[in-house]
This record gives sequence, C-alpha cells and structure tokens, in this order.
Amino acid sequence: MASIIKVIGNVRRIISHNNGIIGSFLKMFRHDDLKWGTLVGEDKYGNKYYENNYYFFGKNRWVSYPQSSGFDFDASEIPPEWHRWMHYMTDDPPTKVPLPQRKWMADHTMNLTGTSREYVPYSTTRPKIQSWVPPKSSD
Amino acid sequence: MATNRLVQQGVKQVKPLLSLDRTEARRRVLNLYKAWYRQIPYTVNAFYIPVTVKQGREKLRELFMKNKHVTDIRAIDMLVIKGQMDLVETANIWKQRNHVMMFFKDTVNPKPTDFLSKFYEGND
Amino acid sequence: MLRLWPLRQVAKVQNVLGGLTQIATKSTQPAPAPELVEVFIDDKQVFVEPGTTVLQACAVAGVEIPRFCYHDRLSIAGNCRMCLVEVERSPKPVASCAMPVMKGMKVKTDSPMTRKAREGVMEFLLMNHPLDCPICDQGGECDLQDQSMAFGSDRSRFTDNAFTGKRAVEDKNIGPLIKTIMTRCIQCTRCIRFASEIAGVDDLGTSGRGTDMQVGTYVEKMFKSELSGNVIDLCPVGALTSKPYAFTARPWEIRKVESIDVMDAVGSNIVVGMRTNEVMRVLPRVNEDINEEWISDKTRFAYDGLKRQRLTTPFINVDGQLVPTDWETAFVKVAEKVKKVDPKLIAGVAGSTADAEAMVCLKDMINRLGGELLCTEDSFPLNRSGIDFRSNYIFNTTIGGIEQADVVLLIGTNPRLEAPLINARIRKTWIHSEVCVGVLGAPVDLSYEYQYLGDSFIVLKDLAAGTHPMCKALASANKPMIILGTDCLQGTENGVIYNAVKDIAERLRKNLKHKDWKIFNLLQKNASQVGALDLGYQPGVSGLKALQAELIFLLGADAGTVSKDKINPSSSVIYIGHHGDYGAQIADVVLPAAAYTEKDAIYVNTEGRVQLARQAVNPPGMARHDWKIIRALSEILGVALPYDKLADVRARLGEISPTFDQPGQVNESGFEAQAYQLQTEIKDPIVNVNTAISPTMLKLKDFYMTDPISRASLTMAKCIQACKESEKNPYSKQEAKA
Repeated sequence: MASIIKVIGNVRRIISHNNGIIGSFLKMFRHDDLKWGTLVGEDKYGNKYYENNYYFFGKNRWVSYPQSSGFDFDASEIPPEWHRWMHYMTDDPPTKVPLPQRKWMADHTMNLTGTSREYVPYSTTRPKIQSWVPPKSSD
Repeated sequence: MATNRLVQQGVKQVKPLLSLDRTEARRRVLNLYKAWYRQIPYTVNAFYIPVTVKQGREKLRELFMKNKHVTDIRAIDMLVIKGQMDLVETANIWKQRNHVMMFFKDTVNPKPTDFLSKFYEGND
Repeated sequence: MLRLWPLRQVAKVQNVLGGLTQIATKSTQPAPAPELVEVFIDDKQVFVEPGTTVLQACAVAGVEIPRFCYHDRLSIAGNCRMCLVEVERSPKPVASCAMPVMKGMKVKTDSPMTRKAREGVMEFLLMNHPLDCPICDQGGECDLQDQSMAFGSDRSRFTDNAFTGKRAVEDKNIGPLIKTIMTRCIQCTRCIRFASEIAGVDDLGTSGRGTDMQVGTYVEKMFKSELSGNVIDLCPVGALTSKPYAFTARPWEIRKVESIDVMDAVGSNIVVGMRTNEVMRVLPRVNEDINEEWISDKTRFAYDGLKRQRLTTPFINVDGQLVPTDWETAFVKVAEKVKKVDPKLIAGVAGSTADAEAMVCLKDMINRLGGELLCTEDSFPLNRSGIDFRSNYIFNTTIGGIEQADVVLLIGTNPRLEAPLINARIRKTWIHSEVCVGVLGAPVDLSYEYQYLGDSFIVLKDLAAGTHPMCKALASANKPMIILGTDCLQGTENGVIYNAVKDIAERLRKNLKHKDWKIFNLLQKNASQVGALDLGYQPGVSGLKALQAELIFLLGADAGTVSKDKINPSSSVIYIGHHGDYGAQIADVVLPAAAYTEKDAIYVNTEGRVQLARQAVNPPGMARHDWKIIRALSEILGVALPYDKLADVRARLGEISPTFDQPGQVNESGFEAQAYQLQTEIKDPIVNVNTAISPTMLKLKDFYMTDPISRASLTMAKCIQACKESEKNPYSKQEAKA
C-alpha cells in the first residue's frame, strides 16, 4: 500500500515538475524519459541541468536541451564546465564553483559532424598540373 | 597385349565425380535446388538483407538456369558440389551480409564496350 | 677520329691560303686498308687497327677500363689517370686512353700493379671529393660512386690530421640550366672539351694549377650554348647537374620511357624519366643516325612546360567566354556547328606537334564530312611539283650523311637554332674533314667558319645561273649538299626562291659522280610537317582564306598562323590540343588532348624517318589522346571512322604511305629528275625578290620558345631572361649582329 502511495506521489511530482500532463507527454515524446528533480543551473546556451539523488548513480544528473535544439539534440551541446559535473568529475556545479575564465578560451561549439557545417578535409598539396584558365573576355 | 590395352583405353570411362548417369546428376541438381529453395526464407531473415523471399527465389532460379547448357556429368557434379558448399556456408552464417548480396551484384557497374562509352569513361 | 683535331688547324691555314676550290678538289680516294695490329689483352689475342688506343683495344676484348676523362666523342685528355693499366716491359703503368697500341703489346688489366694504380688514383680523387652523395643529385648514377665501388680500395689513408678540411671551390653561376657544385669537380675537363669541340663555344676552361685548379668561365657569365645541357650527362660526378631537376627525384625511382622529341623536326631520341605520373626529366638516347648522344636544351629542359597552361577539360564558348564543360556537351556543340555549315567549307589545320595518327584521323573525318582542305602551318611552294615528290620536302642526305659531304650550302636557314643537332653534325664534319660551308642568309654564329655569301635573292640567282664564285666549289665537290630552310619559304615569292635552289641542285645532280648521293635538303622546323605532307596535307594556311572556310579544326595549331584576322571572321574554330595558347584563345570549342609524352604516337622527322614516341604519363584531367577525340567526335557527327584501336589507325597510316610501317628507317627518296622536270614544265616569270632571304631565329634567345610546350615552360623563360642579361655582360661573347 505504501509503495502505491509512493508511486502515486512520484507520478504527481513528475507531472508537476514537467508542467502538467501535456508537458509530461511532450517531455516523454522528446526525451524518452520522465524524471523529477531540482534545477541545478542553466548555461548560456539554454541547457538546463537537473539532479535528483532519488535515482541511482549515473541517472541522477541529467540535462534538458533547449527547445531550439529540436529533436536533433546532441550530447556535445553541453559545454565543458557542465560536462565535468555531468560526468561526475566533480560534485560542484559551475554555478557553485565557476570555472576561471581565460581570455584564450573559445566559445563552445557542438560537434558539427553529420551536419551541413561539418569539417571536410581537403588537399593542401599543389596540383602537379596547372590548368589553363581562359582569359576573361573584355566585352 | 598391345591391342588389349588399346581396347581398354577406347572404352575407358572417365572416373565419375558423384553421378554415374544423367538421371542421377539431374536428381542431385534438383535436390540442391530444393534445399536452396527451402533455405531462402531463413537466409533472408537471418542476414536481414533488403531482398524478399520471392526475389531470392527468382535469383536462385536465374543462377541455376545460367548453367543449363552444361551437359557434362562431371561438370554438373562439380557445380552441384560448389552449390552445396555455398549453401552450407550460407546456412551456417559463415558468410556475411555482403557475401549474400554479392549474388545480386547490385553495386557492380558494367564496363563499357563501345568506343564512345569507353572514351567518356576515361583513358582506357 | 679525334686525332684529326690538330689537322683541322692545318686545314684552316690551307683554307685561307688556297681558297675554297683547292680543298673541294682534293682527292677522296680511300687509303689502302691498313694492316691490323695484334695485341694481347689479359693474354687474349685481339686484332685492332693501328692508332687505336689501348682502352679501345680492351673494349674490343670485352674488358672495360675505368675512366673519367675519356669519352668516345671527345678528344683525349689523359688527365684523370683512372685508366692506368700495366703493359709488359713498361716500367710504369700507362694511361690506356692516351696510349696507342703497338705490335705485340701485352696489356694486363687486372694485375696487382694495375689494381694498385687504380686504387691509388681513386684514393687521391676521393681525398678532395666531398662525401655528400646522400644530397648529391648525381647519386645513383655517378661514375665516381660506381667506380669507387668497383675499382677503389676499401679504406683510405686520408685522415685529415690537421683538420684543414678538404679542398673547397666556390660554385659558379653559368646560367639557369646548369647547377654547379664545383667542390665535387674532379677536373676531368669533359665539359670543357664538349664546349669547345661539340658545342663550339669556348666558354669553359680551367684556371690555376694543382690544388688551385678550377673549371669555370673565369669571369661570371652564362654558358651560352643551345647544347649546354649535355655537359650534365658528361660530368662523371655531380659537379654539373640540372638546375630544374635539382632535388626532385632519384634515378632509381624514375621509370624510363624511350620516346621521341617533338621540339624540332630532328626527332631526337630521348628517354623520358617518369615518376608518379609526372615527367621528371628528359635525357638523350643514343641514336647514331640522328642525335648521337646529345640533345638540345629545349628538348631537355622544356618538360616543365608540360605541367603548365594545360588544357584539362573541354571548353565551349558561351557569349564570348570560354567555360569549362564535359565531353558530351562539347561534342554536341561541335555537332551543332558542323550541321550549320556547308561541308565543303570545313577545313583542318595541323600544328607543329601533331602526331601522324591524329592527323590521319582528322583528315579522314573531314573528308568523310565532305571537306577537302587540310593544311599545315608551315608554308611550302605548291606552284610546281610541290609536295608530289617526297624528295622535295625532306632532308634527303640524312643527318648521318652530312659527315660525308664536302661542300655544304645553307640557304635561308640557321641550323644552329632550328635544328641544333644537325648543326652539331655539320660542325663535327667541319672538324674532322675539310668541308666547306657557304651561307646564304643571315650572318649568324653557326659555331664553325663559313663563307658568307650575302642574303639577297641576286646571290641566289647568280648561284642558279652558275656565275657566282661559290659555284666552282660546288661543281667540283664530290658530295655537295644544299640545305634550304623553311623560313624563307613563308612569303608569297617562295616559289621563286625554291625554284632557284632546285636549279642549283639539279645542275649539280647531273654532273654528280656518286649517282646515289642526294644534294637537295629541306630543313623542316616542325615535328609534324613531313608526316603531314606524307599524309596529303597541304602546306600553308593560305587556303583557308581562299576557301572562306566556315568551320576550322585546329590540331594543336598554335604558331599564330591561324588568327581571327586571317580567316573568315564568321568562321567557327574548334581547337584540339594540349596547351592554352594562340589556338585555344580563338576557339569556340576547345577539346583537351595529350602532349607528346602522354601518347603512343608516330612522328616523322625532317629526314622522313618514322619514329615511335611512347606514352610515359597519362594525359592530365579529362584530356584524351588526340586520335581518340577525333574518332569519338566522328561518331557523334555520324561519320564514324572505321578504326577503334591504335593498331587499326596505324594500319590506315600504312595504307596511305608504306613508310609508316617501317619505324626507325629512312626510305631513300627518288625521282629527283622527274620532280625537277615537272617543275620546269610550268614556267614562272622570273621576278626579283626584294626581301632578304633570312631565317627568323637569329640569336640564342629566339631558340627557347618556339612551340606551345616551350612557351609554357618557366625554365625556357629563365633562359631567355639570362640571354638578355648576358647581352649586357661585357665579358660575354656577343652574337653576330643580324
């Protein structure tokens, strides 16, 4: 009986955490998972980080990608400072212990492989044969 | 003695591979065909190839008909042996997907034969 | 042969004293065959002619003596001492290259004394030779490397105890072609002897003595010769190497393809060095009948032009601009143009480097379409028997035959720049015999002495009439030669000049003692010309204007003879060739073809010798073999040519002229009398030609860029630059004013 109450309580928390029944349904549709937890922080790209130690280690920290990522979100959207928290390198999220900012630090970009902006390697050797380029007509 | 040997040579039969006559060879061919025919649904399923059972059976028939001009019993037997080996390899999944798909040659571009096509293709 | 070198000096004096006729009338009765001398090489008995050197006798016996300074085609210096051998009853080892054989001489080429002598010499040579083989371009084909392995000692006593270092010599700058690393020089003096004997340029020499001896030009100047590259091959070490080839490849990486050169009409035999589908260098191949073992600098160094300005894709003209396209589109465009014009107004022009296969395909295709006009770029008088007889337009004497000539008359040609190897052959004849050379044309520097006759047509008329002083020398000559250049035949009055020359030749021929000797020679400038005329092409592009041709196929015609103002302005031009040059610029459709290193092709040299060039590398990009382009195009145009394979095309060539079936041979041309009679049947009004009979190439700087390949070459551009600078150099010998 107690367990049933516990389950019902969990379901209620999940539904309230995910903005109601419709919200939960959309969340389920997008993330294939429904959890409830406390919002630890949000980075400048719109990723929201949650934690709930009710879930087992490995499942107790998760990220919710911004709507702008659509259904095509990628784990590499997580910037390095959150990456270390997500991967249990540290228990201090960057909201508590911010990473030192250096002027040489570049802005984070996700891994673009598979997208239209991916890196395509090209040859840097000079061609053996130099082709003729027809002269531009004057008129 | 000499004539004896000559006669022996004249009537000497080649050593059969499996079959002694055409009927037996035909039976072996049909048996192999049936075995393949029954194996094809499992093959299509096991290898997860983009081929329907019907297509597979059509290909089976095509490959068998390719050799219909063969009349030499030994040659037929050898083809049966090779087909049997192929079947065993397929049934035991010693093959991989691409090996099965090689029957269909769907990625093979035929080489051009006429001058103009060869010219467009490249330098020989 | 080189023993005659001092004799030449005597002959020169006689020339001055006695005049021309005396020399020409000298008896050429062959001396009675001398008795052979018996010598023993390592106890093996051989018989050689008296006067042969010990080294040559050893070669007859099959023993090769190591040598650095000795070279077959150069005079004997005897200064490297590598060829020392032991001769019985001689107290010291003797230098075999300089020692003539004597009766009963017993030579030991592998005795302890010989070996010790060789090892000693090698030790001395290596003492002052840098050990930089790993960074030396000669590494792998170095005589010093090879012979130190074969004949040297396995240790040296040279320890450099005082750390004074080896001998070091400053590098010289002798032009853009030859890189000098003079520390490596072992002072064999081969380059010096080549320059003064073969090239006829006394630019190189030695200065200083002993350890201070240096090979060089003494003051910094360019080694100004059209044959300068050959000293790279002659240098037994890496002192003289090729500048454009420096550090690009190693000899063992290079695949060697035996081919034919097309930079001039000599058809020098070459070896194309290929690596990773790239021509790395061009070297000469021995052919005693043509180039011996030399090649001209253009042949050797213009290969970098094969990698620049190349047509790698078809182009079509869209609104006055050539845009790259694919083969199908280009062919369709050609087909549209062919459909639009009257087939009779389709014409073809073969350029200077067109091969016979492509030319026959083009001719067959245009003939099948209905066109009749196919021509070459070089003009030639047609008003008389013209090209009906082969003897009218080839070098009948043959290049090897020059050596037998006793009087050579050069008319309107500068063989030194038009055909450097023919000039080298004339110079060789001039050195070794008493040949008298007369020049009618520009007073250019031919590297040998000649009698200058002037450049006016009146002189030629005098010669034809027999009133000129030179006529006596010609008439009394046993084997006279007349070499007519093509430059003076480009004008409208070419028929008159040609007839006058033919008159001289015919008069000499009638009184000739050797009936099979050929007198008349035409020195072509283009590698394709003789082949084109053999196939029935018309010489000269004047027909295009006369026909008002509407559609013109250019087969590598880049000399600028076909230009928009010289043809019907409404005509379309289809260019098939390998370089973006004059032809491609005026074209409506450009079809990229293969250069001479990229196809198996037949070329006919100025002697009428059919030679096979071999494919070394693949045509670049979308370029295809010339004959295949025409064959494919003919199919699109609905007149498919009946041959699919190269062998079929060659069979077709053989049908047209059997000479094409005999590569490497010269077929003697005949019918000189008939050719002449046909000439005389139609009388021309004798007009006086006011223009000077003169070749167009006068100075060395004119030599380097003559065809699309050499025009695209950076090396050739540098050569011209260096030539211009050397004109400012007060120490450089100035070329004759033209």
